[in-house]
Amino acid sequence: MIARRLLIASFALGCAVVSSAQPAFVGPAPARTILPTPELQRAAYLARIDEILAWRSSQAKPGELFPEMTMIATKLALHQDAELCSRSVIQLMKTPASGPFWMFPTVNVAFLGRDQLSLEARQAIRKAWSREMQMRGDTENHWAMYYTSLYLMAELYPNEPGSSWYSGKSSADNLAEAKEYLIDWMNLATTVGQGEFNPTHYIGEYAIPMLYLATWAKDPAMRLRGKMTLDWIFADLAENTLNGVLHGANARTDDVSVIERGKALASFFSWVLFGNVPPIISYGGWGLYFATVAKNYELPEVIYRIAVDRPSDYVQRDFKRTRRRWRNSDVLMAPIYKTNYTRRDYAVGSYQGGLADPIQTHVWDVTWDVRDPRGVHNTMFSMHPVSSSYDLQTYFSELPDQMAKEVTKEGKASYDSPDKFLGGSRFEQVFQDLDTVIALYDIPVGTRFPHINGFFSKDLVQLTVDPSGWIFAQGGSCYLAYRPLAAYQLRPVALIKSSMTGERASLGDQQLFSPHLKNGTIVQAAAVSEFKDFAAFQAAIRALPLSFQLVTKPTVTFQTLRGKVVTCTFGAAPIVNGQPFDYTTWKLFEGPYLNAEKGSGRLTITHGALERILDFKTLSITDRVKP
Amino acid sequence: MSKIKIAGALLLSWVVALGAAVGPAHDLILCVTFRVPGGLTATALPLPLPPCGFHQRGADNRFTHFGPNYPRFNNLARDPRDPRVLYAASLNGVLCSTDGGESWRIGTSWDMTEPRDVCIDPHAPDHIYLALPDGIAVSNDRGLTWPRREIGLPRRGKYMQAVKVDRAQAGRVLAGCESGIYLTENGAQSWRRVFSTQATTTDLQQSPHDAQLWLATTQSDGALRSRDGGLTWEKIAGVPAAAALYNIAFDATNARRYAVASWTYGILTTEDGGETWSERNAGLPAPHRVFRLGIDPDNGRLYAGVYEAAVYESLDFGRTWRSAGFEHSVVYNFVFLPRFVNTPALAHLP
Repeated sequence: MIARRLLIASFALGCAVVSSAQPAFVGPAPARTILPTPELQRAAYLARIDEILAWRSSQAKPGELFPEMTMIATKLALHQDAELCSRSVIQLMKTPASGPFWMFPTVNVAFLGRDQLSLEARQAIRKAWSREMQMRGDTENHWAMYYTSLYLMAELYPNEPGSSWYSGKSSADNLAEAKEYLIDWMNLATTVGQGEFNPTHYIGEYAIPMLYLATWAKDPAMRLRGKMTLDWIFADLAENTLNGVLHGANARTDDVSVIERGKALASFFSWVLFGNVPPIISYGGWGLYFATVAKNYELPEVIYRIAVDRPSDYVQRDFKRTRRRWRNSDVLMAPIYKTNYTRRDYAVGSYQGGLADPIQTHVWDVTWDVRDPRGVHNTMFSMHPVSSSYDLQTYFSELPDQMAKEVTKEGKASYDSPDKFLGGSRFEQVFQDLDTVIALYDIPVGTRFPHINGFFSKDLVQLTVDPSGWIFAQGGSCYLAYRPLAAYQLRPVALIKSSMTGERASLGDQQLFSPHLKNGTIVQAAAVSEFKDFAAFQAAIRALPLSFQLVTKPTVTFQTLRGKVVTCTFGAAPIVNGQPFDYTTWKLFEGPYLNAEKGSGRLTITHGALERILDFKTLSITDRVKP
Repeated sequence: MSKIKIAGALLLSWVVALGAAVGPAHDLILCVTFRVPGGLTATALPLPLPPCGFHQRGADNRFTHFGPNYPRFNNLARDPRDPRVLYAASLNGVLCSTDGGESWRIGTSWDMTEPRDVCIDPHAPDHIYLALPDGIAVSNDRGLTWPRREIGLPRRGKYMQAVKVDRAQAGRVLAGCESGIYLTENGAQSWRRVFSTQATTTDLQQSPHDAQLWLATTQSDGALRSRDGGLTWEKIAGVPAAAALYNIAFDATNARRYAVASWTYGILTTEDGGETWSERNAGLPAPHRVFRLGIDPDNGRLYAGVYEAAVYESLDFGRTWRSAGFEHSVVYNFVFLPRFVNTPALAHLP
């Protein structure tokens, strides 16, 4: 929630390139082949990077200055057109922008062009960093970009006085401040938990600066920190994707990615790293900034295999944290207990409810696998749409009344829309056991938007409203049973096509609209292969014992398809098979692939016999093949 | 300390006396940003907007931009001993200038963000107070270092929107926080709560006529008044409290006139020391979402920053309004600083 100029810079970045024939974007979905050796994996990775660079390079118009930084960076990465790059840089640096979204592309060009740009061009960059006050932003991803950029530029131009920097601080002071921030942030993320966890777009805001740090930092310790953080981010991505598609829960997502799960910058990263999903259009714009340096990153095989080679179903439980709460909270950062249950045909992910982020949180969903995710709305969930100055003030240092209006103009167009599908709520409590999700809602009287929205995709088949109260459907090879706990309407809904503009389109999706303050949803997923037919699945669901009441505190007792008896009461700890469920014992990561103790700074990444340990306390990477 | 106090008082009286002889005694500086009408669209790029940041009124009543083109300044403080020394509460932290705004240094480090307010102790001008979303930092060395000074503030509830030094006593400071109004009488060595609120105290002001009289606005508890230097507070009965109030100002030319700004209520004024209040929105664009107001201490002119609309001014304390420019702006503060007349107000101005 900061200055519009920051947002504009970001928007311009995303729109920097236009669509034309991109081989991987317009071509068929990638084959689901597991490349057996690191050499083949690396060769495929390099080929994808080459595709990006070749595509972007081909868009240059002969004889014209390059209009923006991705083109210059691409040309420099390819060691082409250095003279034109120089003239283009000089032109662009006449009107430098402000903020991290301008800073990191400029760093990219400054470093790629160290030995290619003319002295005048390099001086133009340097001068821009002297005269234009750079906005730091107010969010963790802003600071990751800002301080990485400042760190690298301070290293590139050491021993210079404060008068030569926009900050008024000397190179040494800028370097020290940036280093201190980055180390503090890495320590926080690797001991207390990640803040903006599993973001569909913001992964770029972290991965790109960390790649730059890993590539260009002079200090070997900072280079290593960059590399380790990249491994950490990509291991987390791998674990939370279903054939390359990042599913919920997400600290932050957007109106489009929350529905069309494959249409996310995260898919670009899955594609370039794992090769298992098509990239998004223009490689997300941001992908170009990654690609220009990506050959300097070597994806560990263990992470590749987590993404593409899952021999069995798995449960992964992670501990994360919310964004900083300035007000309205007993804690600065609240704990997030995140569950991911992934099977071959679908994944179920959630956290316990509440707001990890004030606007763009996505608390839970079932996402089913599709061979080609482009255009497919492969997800199901419910949520309480929130538009609340109280909640915004919890996270933003602003006066109350203008914020809801402002955020709708700052890339979160749906924020004040009652039929949105983006966002979390303080009045939602979620519990997940394997492929069962119970979401309860206890919405106070007087709340703006006193209803819940369930998302029913255009891509569901066999949608059946059953007299039992269950709604049955099939998505891909996943059967879905959705049980609304209060009266509802299923009605057509026009989805937001752009979080920036708020433009909508009716594509055949439906909104389950339930205007009851005390409310709930149960979703049970199962694989098609588990049942003889759809009728057998329905019969199995109908047979599951279920009782609930909504009069005082919403309460549900449900026997899951997997045999657990789960009781959830809003405001109380869930009870599983008679035992209160205890979140306090959760580790930072716990599962077959990722494991870390709270406070340890040490992540063990495992796949079969492969193991990599990232230890931020000893600043070391340890690889081994287990016997 | 007493020598500093006396010297400061002498300097101030000298400056004010000189100012009275040659023109306005105060500089007016707007902390302002400009917005694209109708929100962000691709076609709105590039933005045909004036630079954001500080706009200072000159002798010809026209405004001149100075400092960085920067969208978020919340307040500006000036060293009473030296017009070239400035402290700005900005998104980046506190920005410090020692050359009248020609160049700036980010005074705080990575661990402080988005200060909401900044003020200088006029009796100890090396002491600067910085209101933060998570407490307060105090510099005792002209902005070189910013240690936190939070003993007595609650672990939570210390979100601070406003901080003001009592001009009558060095080291006596009031702070408007999420959980109420806090007071220190020892230069922030320790704090104590003097009034509890349900939500944030948005502004604090000390009367220019009576140093014991303070006013405050809140999000949840309406407008407040203290007649004992901020020790005890009472709600001002005539001011509505159902919606947030954004800021409050005294009229230095008339001890009985105050005004309140509110997104919901627009401009509220009193001309009888707070006994009765009137809405003064006729002539302001509807909806009259007033984000900030200010009263010129030289002539009682009332300024209203109407959110994303423009700045309006009134010569009759709100009865009539006229545009003062700044279309499509959001004004975060109207800053009136005692003018130094023996040197240019700020180095950049002719």
